Amino acid sequence: MKIFLLLVLFSGIGFLLIDNLRFLSNSGFSLGAATHYYVTQGFEQTGALNLVSSILYDFRAFDSLGESTVIFAAVSGIVSLLSRKTLPVSSHGLSIIVKRIFGILTPFLFVSGIYLILHGHLSPGGGFQGGVILGTISIVFCIVYGSSFDYTRYSPQSKTILEVSGALLFLAMGIIGIFLEGFFLANWFSSPERLGKLLTPGSIFGINLGVGIKIGAGLSIIFYSIIQKRIEGK
Amino acid sequence: MNQLFFLSLFLLGFIGMLLNRNLIKLIIGFEIMEASVLLWFISFTNQGGNPPIYLLDKPGMVLNDPLPQALALTAIVIAASNIALFLTLVIELSRYHKASDVDKIKGLRD
Repeated sequence: MKIFLLLVLFSGIGFLLIDNLRFLSNSGFSLGAATHYYVTQGFEQTGALNLVSSILYDFRAFDSLGESTVIFAAVSGIVSLLSRKTLPVSSHGLSIIVKRIFGILTPFLFVSGIYLILHGHLSPGGGFQGGVILGTISIVFCIVYGSSFDYTRYSPQSKTILEVSGALLFLAMGIIGIFLEGFFLANWFSSPERLGKLLTPGSIFGINLGVGIKIGAGLSIIFYSIIQKRIEGK
Repeated sequence: MNQLFFLSLFLLGFIGMLLNRNLIKLIIGFEIMEASVLLWFISFTNQGGNPPIYLLDKPGMVLNDPLPQALALTAIVIAASNIALFLTLVIELSRYHKASDVDKIKGLRD
């Protein structure tokens, strides 16, 4: 009975929403003024051929800064919720075949993550996507080589230093923008002959690098915090 | 009709959030709702053009709208950190109450 009432309610809501959506699609879709500006002049003004990257790290760079702050807050919350626990040896890894195969494959995983970060302003990709690939490497280490492999080699303190240095690189790009252009997070790209090269002047390259390092280290910290276990009596 | 698909996906996630009592399934319903909104957002602004990457040797290409893709990227990253925080809270609750069912967790009703 409860389910029936809910279905009636939701079919009513759905009908009203469809009505609104039909009105929306009949009005015809065209590029807005802001989007027209981004598509026609974004690459010349920011030096990034990837227009999504130019929006994320130049036109809306404050948005990305807030987004990094959200991730930093999430990592801090998770670590503080799951604190005072030590890592148990919860798994000893998979068989020798899987270990050898991932010994060969993991460097290529690393290279693909670094490629996505460094070419974020030229091709599909960027700091967030490449950082997530870098973060999966430590998850692969945990699953394939056992849970103590990554933990004993790369301590959580070094990952914290990496994450903070990524955030500081982002902020440093903003402060360099103050000195060169006059306002925070300004892009100092001014040479159109360098368009399409890997090393372009401007803040997008540095911001991509900082965000990639930050996301990779943050995901690794989150994963190793979640698989920790409380030791009773302490 | 394209938008009907995303709308039904959204309502599916919402009904799943309302009717399930398991906390993990609640989180799955939340994710389905968010994914449906992002899918609708991207597909609504797709004009049949190329991906928004400007190619220097082919000027004048018709490009898709890059703005909703940037917004969707932001939303995906924030949703990922949200889900991690949700799962952490579920882990703590299930360790304390030995259950991940809302009805079996005492203290929420009082």
